[in-house]
Amino acid sequence: MANDTAPRYWRNLDERDAGQGGPCGTDEFIEPVLPDLFPRRGFLKAAGFGLAALAAGCTRAPVEKAIPFLVNPEEITPGRSLYYASTCAGCSAACGLLVKSRDGRPIKLEGNPQHPLSRGGLCAVGQASVLELYDNRRLAAPQRRGQNAPWAEIDTEIVARLGEVRRRGQRVRVLTGSVVSPTLQAAIGRFLSSFDDARHVVYDALSSAAILEAHERTHHVRVLPHYRFDRADVIVGVQADFLGTWIAPVEFTRGWRDGRSLDGTPPRCSYHVQAESILTVTGSKADRRYRIAPSQTGLLLRHLARHIADRTGVALPIGDLPPAPVADSELADLATRLHATRGRSLVVCGNQSLDDEVVTNLINHALGNYDAGATIDLVGRPSKQKQGSDRELRHLLDEMEEGAVGALFVLGANPVGDLPRFHAFADLARKVPLTVGLASSPDETSQVCTYVCPDHHPLESWADAEPVDGIVSICQPVLEPLGDTRSALESLAVWTGTPQSAYELVREYWERVVFPRAAASEPFETFWDRAVEQGVITLPTAARALPTVDLAVLNRIAPLAPAGTRAINELTLVLYPTVTMLDGRHANNPWLHELPDPISKVTWDNYASLSPATATRLGLGEGKVVRLEAAVGGAGKAAMELSVYVQPGQHDDVVAVAMGYGRLGTERFARVGPQWIDAQPATEGDGPVGVSVAPFLELTEGTMRYTTRVVTIAAAGRTRPLAATQRHHAITASPRLGLAATVARPIVRETTVAALAAEGASRDRSGHEPIRPDLWPDDHPYAHRWGLVIDLNACTGCSACVIACQAENNIPVVGRDEVRRAREMHWMRIDRYFSDTGDGSVDVVHQPMLCQHCAHAPCETVCPVLATVHSAEGLNEQVYNRCVGTRYCANNCPYKVRRFNWFTYRHDDVRANLVLNPDVTVRSRGVMEKCSLCVQRVQEAKAEARRLGEPLRDGDITTACEQSCPARAIVFGDLADASSRATKLAAGGRHFRVLEELNVRPGVGYLSVVRHRPAQGDDKRHG
Amino acid sequence: MVERVAAAAREAPWVEVDSLSQVTEDICRPIGGRPTVLWWVGFLLALSVLGVGTAAIGYQIATGIGTWGLNRTVGWAFDITNFVFWIGIGHAGTLISAILFLLRQRWRTSVNRAAEAMTLFAVMCAGLFPLIHMGRPWLAFWMFPYPNTRGSLWINFRSPLVWDFFAISTYFTISLMFWYVGLIPDLATVRDRARAGLGKRLLSWFSLGWNGSYRVWQRYEIVYLLLAGLATPLVVSVHTIVSWDFATSVIPGWHATIFPPYFVAGAIFSGMAMVLTLMIIARATMRLERYITRRHVDVMSKLVIATGGMVALAYGTEFFMALYSANQYEQFVFMNRALGPFSWAYWTMVSCNVIAPQLLWFTRVRRHLGAVFAVSIFVNIGMWFERFTIIVTSLHRDYLPSSWADYAPTSIEVATLAGSVGLFFTCFLIFCRFIPVIAMSEVKGVIGTPSAGATGQPERPPERLPALAGMEA
Repeated sequence: MANDTAPRYWRNLDERDAGQGGPCGTDEFIEPVLPDLFPRRGFLKAAGFGLAALAAGCTRAPVEKAIPFLVNPEEITPGRSLYYASTCAGCSAACGLLVKSRDGRPIKLEGNPQHPLSRGGLCAVGQASVLELYDNRRLAAPQRRGQNAPWAEIDTEIVARLGEVRRRGQRVRVLTGSVVSPTLQAAIGRFLSSFDDARHVVYDALSSAAILEAHERTHHVRVLPHYRFDRADVIVGVQADFLGTWIAPVEFTRGWRDGRSLDGTPPRCSYHVQAESILTVTGSKADRRYRIAPSQTGLLLRHLARHIADRTGVALPIGDLPPAPVADSELADLATRLHATRGRSLVVCGNQSLDDEVVTNLINHALGNYDAGATIDLVGRPSKQKQGSDRELRHLLDEMEEGAVGALFVLGANPVGDLPRFHAFADLARKVPLTVGLASSPDETSQVCTYVCPDHHPLESWADAEPVDGIVSICQPVLEPLGDTRSALESLAVWTGTPQSAYELVREYWERVVFPRAAASEPFETFWDRAVEQGVITLPTAARALPTVDLAVLNRIAPLAPAGTRAINELTLVLYPTVTMLDGRHANNPWLHELPDPISKVTWDNYASLSPATATRLGLGEGKVVRLEAAVGGAGKAAMELSVYVQPGQHDDVVAVAMGYGRLGTERFARVGPQWIDAQPATEGDGPVGVSVAPFLELTEGTMRYTTRVVTIAAAGRTRPLAATQRHHAITASPRLGLAATVARPIVRETTVAALAAEGASRDRSGHEPIRPDLWPDDHPYAHRWGLVIDLNACTGCSACVIACQAENNIPVVGRDEVRRAREMHWMRIDRYFSDTGDGSVDVVHQPMLCQHCAHAPCETVCPVLATVHSAEGLNEQVYNRCVGTRYCANNCPYKVRRFNWFTYRHDDVRANLVLNPDVTVRSRGVMEKCSLCVQRVQEAKAEARRLGEPLRDGDITTACEQSCPARAIVFGDLADASSRATKLAAGGRHFRVLEELNVRPGVGYLSVVRHRPAQGDDKRHG
Repeated sequence: MVERVAAAAREAPWVEVDSLSQVTEDICRPIGGRPTVLWWVGFLLALSVLGVGTAAIGYQIATGIGTWGLNRTVGWAFDITNFVFWIGIGHAGTLISAILFLLRQRWRTSVNRAAEAMTLFAVMCAGLFPLIHMGRPWLAFWMFPYPNTRGSLWINFRSPLVWDFFAISTYFTISLMFWYVGLIPDLATVRDRARAGLGKRLLSWFSLGWNGSYRVWQRYEIVYLLLAGLATPLVVSVHTIVSWDFATSVIPGWHATIFPPYFVAGAIFSGMAMVLTLMIIARATMRLERYITRRHVDVMSKLVIATGGMVALAYGTEFFMALYSANQYEQFVFMNRALGPFSWAYWTMVSCNVIAPQLLWFTRVRRHLGAVFAVSIFVNIGMWFERFTIIVTSLHRDYLPSSWADYAPTSIEVATLAGSVGLFFTCFLIFCRFIPVIAMSEVKGVIGTPSAGATGQPERPPERLPALAGMEA
C-alpha cells in the first residue's frame, strides 16, 4: 500500500505539521461517521452480547475453544488432505499404503495403486490399523518392571547389563516375527554382532515354516517362494486360505482376480479347486470345493501326485495308498487340467505338515510351475513375508529351559500370548536375567519383560520393507509420536552404542545397500526423494538358476498314519486365523472386533464351529456353550468353553476355533457399547473378548501345527448367544413356510463360464432392459448419475470395504450386545448366502450391500420432513440435521440398508476421536444414516477439477469401498456418461440389479457370479 | 319416510324410568358426590400404571429409542401397534355419535356420551405414540407445515405420516367439538343443580348460557345435525389414512389395496368392543342398569359380529390375493405370518377376532353380560395383535433374507403400552366423576315408564325427531 516514494498530500496545515498525511484518501473521514458515543463496533458488540445473552439459555452444547495454528505449518492447508506413501505394518505382507492426512493427523489408510504387489488394495486389518495409532492403551513411556522410567535410565541399565552378559559370554537372543524391513534386519544383525553367542530367532504366530523347510529339502533353499496367482489358470488350494489370511492375501486376491477377469474370448477364468476342512473365504470362491478332514490332506495330495506322475512321466515314488477322500475320477480330471496347463497351474498347501509340503513341491515341480515365468517364483523374487523357523523357536525354548540365555529381546512378537505352552514361556522368560520387550501396547509378553521399550506406531516412524525380493518400500512417519516412544531401530542403535535416528538409519541403509542394487543413473538424492514420494521402488534382480530337485526326498517322508478310531465325542480341533483378527496382534482394535467374519458373520467372539451334521449328532445348537478338552504335554490338560456356531460346508470330524482372541487388554471392551438398563456386557464376566486357543497349539516335527489336536467336546450346560449380523443364510426359507419360501429370490444371479462363453458376441444387453412403467415423465435428466457396479464374481467377501467405509464415514462401534440386537451400524455390509451342493459342501455368494441410491427411492416419499432427498446427481441424500427419526424410511427400504442411531454412541475418547473424518458429520442420537456414496469424496474431486479447470474424468472419484478393494470388485462412475467404466459394465451381459422388479431403479448394479460348472443349465438363479 | 319415523317413535322405549327427573337424579348422582371405594381403587390403579408408563417414556426419551426392542430391520413394533390400536378404539365414538345419529338409531343415546369421551381419550393415547416413537421427539414440531426461516423448508406432502398428522388432528378437533356441543344441555342441567361456587361458574361458562328455550333447542338441533354430517366422513377417512401408512409402502404384507376398508372395519370392530367393555363395567359400577340395558348390549353385539365378519373376510382376502398375485414375496409373508416365528401372534389374532365373536350369533350370548364382556375383551386383545402382526411380521422378513431379524419387546415398551392404558382409564374415570356419563337430554327422548309401556309416553321434552323429519322433508 503506502510506500515511501508515494507523494504525501495534506488537507490542512495542521495535518501537514503533524506529518500524518498518508496517501490521498486513506484517512478521508477525519470525523467519525457515527459519534464516538455509539461507535459501529461498539454497537455490534453490544448487539452481539445481547443476542448471546438471549441465546445462552438455549445453547445446545458448551462451546469449546479451538486454538488455531499461530504459525501455520507450510504444507498444511486446513481442509485439504495430504497423502503420504508408506507401507502397511498390519501384517508381514507389507502392502503399499497411502496415508490420508488431514490437518496434520492421519485419518485413513488407503492402498497405494503404484505398489506392484498390493496394487491399490488394502485389507480390513491394514485399514483398521490407523485406529491403533490413537489407542489410549498404547504405552506412552518406557517401563521398568511395570513402572514408567525415563529413557536415559533404562538405556543405561540395559547397556550395563548387556556389558555384563558380554563379559560372562552369555547368549543373547532376539526373538521377532518375520522382519520384512531390511534396515531393521541389518540393525538387529549389527546389534548382535557385538556378542559372542548371539542369534536372531524368527517365528510367526501364523507360521508357514513348513513351506520353507520343505523347499530346503526339495530345492535346497530355505525360502518362501513368491506365488503368482495372476499367472495361474488352474489353482488347487489345499488347506490354504490364500484369499483370506494366508501369507499375502491382498496380493493373492488381486492375482486370483486377474486370472478370473472374464476378459477376452473365450473369457479368461482360472479353474479353482479348494480342498479344506473348514469353510474359508478362499473355499467360498472355488469352482469346486472338497470337504476333507485335516488328516486326509496328505492322502489327497499323494493321490493327486500319483495322477500327475502318470501324466507327466516324472517319477514320483508314491507307495500304495488307501482310497482318496475325493472320488478318483474327479482327481483324475483335476490332474488332467493341471497337466494341460503346465507352468500355468499352481498347487498350494498350507497345513504346516512338512511331508505334505514336500509332496506339494514335487507336484508343482512335475508340472513345471517353478520354471522361469511360471506360477512359483523361487529364485527370482522369493518372498520374505514369512521367515519364521519353528525349529529355531523350539531350540530357543530349550535354551531358555536350560537357563543358558543371558538376554532376550522380543520385538514385533508376543510369544507368551501366541505359543502353546502359555504359562511356560512366561516362566522361561523369568529365567532369563535380562528380558526386553519392544511392544507398543502392553501384552502378555511385555508383562513378563524386565524392560519394555515401546516402539512407535508404524505411522510415527521411519522404516522400510522388502516383502518380496527387490520390491522395497518406505514407511514414513506422518505425525509426531503421540507418546514418549522410540522406534525399535533407534533403540537397537542405542544399545549397539551408535545412537542414530531412524531416519538416518533407513536413509543410510538405502544409500549403502538399496541404491547400488537399483543400478540407477540418478544421484542418490533423487532416488531417495522418488522412493519417499512413491513409497515403493522395484529393484532389478539377478537371474539365478533353479536348483535341481531331488525326487528321492519322497522316500524320506513318513508313511501316512492309518486313520485311528475315535470316540463319539472326539473331534479334530482346527485352529484358524480369521480375516479380522489374524493372530491376535490387532485384538485391541474395536473396529476389527465388530467386523463380521466374512463366512460366519459373527462379531466380538470366537466360537466352536461344527458342521450341521455333527451339531445334530451331538445335540448341540447355535449358542450352546461347549467345553473342549485335550491332553497337552504329558499330564497337562487344556480346556476352553465356547459357544457353538453351526457352519455349513465344514467337515464333520472337525471343530474349528479362531485364533487371536482372549488377548490381554480386551477386557476394556466389556462396556464398549451404549449402557442402559438392559445392556449386556460384551465379554463374559468382564474378561477378554473370546478365548485364547494358544494352549491347544502343537509344536511338533519342527513346525507349529494348527490342525492336529484331537479334543473331546461336551456341552457345558449353558447358552451364550453369538452376535451375528446375519442369521438367515440361504436365499430360500424353510419349506415349512410354504412353496413360495422355497423359490430362490432373484437377488443374486449366477452363470457358468460355458454359458458366458456361448453367449459370446451377443453379450450386449441393450434392448434386453425391461421397460418399466413410470408415473412421472422423465424430464429431469441427470447431470451426473453416480452409481456403482459391483462384480460379485470378483468379490471374495474379505470385508476390506466395510472397514474402509467405517473409517471414511465415522461409523461408530456399538458393541456386542447391540450387534446381537441387530443394530450394527455398518453402512456397507456383505450379505453372504449359502446353497447346498449336495455333497455336504456349500456354494457361497458374497454380495456387498449398501444404499442402492434408487432413482425412485421408497425412502424419499415417506419421510414426513424431507430429511432424505434425491440429489440432481442421482444420490439419495440423508440430511442428518433435518431427520426426526420416524424410521419410516428404514421400514420402507427393500434393501434394509438404513441404520438408525438408537443411542448416543460413544465418542468420549478424545484421542480416538482424532481418527474421525472432518468431512463427515458425526451423527447424533435419533437420526437415520446410510451410505452416501462417499458424497464428500465426490465433492472433493469435483472441487479439485473445478480448481484445475479441467473436466471431471472417469476414475477421478473413488469411493472408500472401491479404493481399497483388493479384488477391484467395485467400480464407481457416472451412469449418465456413456463412456464411463461403470456404464460399460452396466451394459454388459452379466449386469443385473437387485429387486429390479420393484421398479425403484437402483443406481447400484451387480455383475453375476460366474463359476466353472460341469455342463448343466446355464443361467441359474441362486438357490 | 314419515312412516319410518313414526315406526321409530313407536318402537319399544329403550329406557324405562318413572319420570324425567329420575333420569336427572340417576345420572347426576355421581357428580359432586363422594366417589365410591371402587372408583378410588380403579383410579389409583390407573394412575399408578400411568406413572409407570410415564417413567418408562421419560427414560426412553432421556436414553434413546434403543431402549425399545427395535432393530435395523424392524423399525416399528409396539409404538405404531399401540398407535393404530388406540386410533381404532377411537372410531366407535364417532360412529355412534354421527352415523348412528343420522341413521336415527335411538339406542345410541345411552352410550354416545361415554363413547365419544372414549374416542377423545383413545385419540389422546394414540397421539402419544407418533410423538414418542421419534428419534428426536423434541423436534416433533417439524411435522407442522409452518412458515419458517430455513429457506422455507416445507414438509413432505407425499408422506403418509403427514397425512396422518392432518387426519388425526382433524379427527380429534371434530370429535371434541361434537362431544362438547352434545354436552351443552347436560352441562346446563348440572349447572342448575350445582351449589354456588367455582364449579357453578365454570359450568355456567361452559354451558354458554343455555336456557332450554325452544329457540335454543332448535339451533342446537341444527348445529348437532350439521356436526354429525361433518363427522361422518371422518369415520371413514381417519383409519383409511392410517392404513395408507402401510398401503403406500413397498413392503410385502403392507402394500395392499384392501387396507383402507379392512382397517375401517377393524377400527369399528375394536371400537365397539371397547364401548361394550366400558359400558358393561360402567353399568355395574355406576348403577346404570336402567339406562344401559341388555337390549343395548344386544344391539352393539350385533355391530361387533357384523364388523368382525368384515375383518375375517379381509383376513381371507389377504391370503387369496397373495396366492392369486403369484408374487413370491407376498406369498411368503402370509405363510410366514401363519407359520413363522410370529405365528403365535397371528393365531391369537384369528382366535380372538374371528372365532370368539362367532358366539355372538346366539341371542342368549348377546344378552348375557358376562359372555359379551368376555368376547369384548378377546376382541380388544385380538385387534391389538392384528396390528402387531401386520407391522412386525411384514417387516421382520422382507425382501433380502440377509437382513431378516427377530423382534422382542423390552420392559420399557411393555411399560409404555401399560402406561397408555393407564392414561386412558385415568381420563375415563375422571370423566365419570365430573361429567354426566349418559346424555340426559337425549335419553329423555327415548324413555318410557314401566307402567305406560311403549305407547303411553307421558312427558317428553321438546321432540327432536319431528324437527329432524321436518328438515329432511
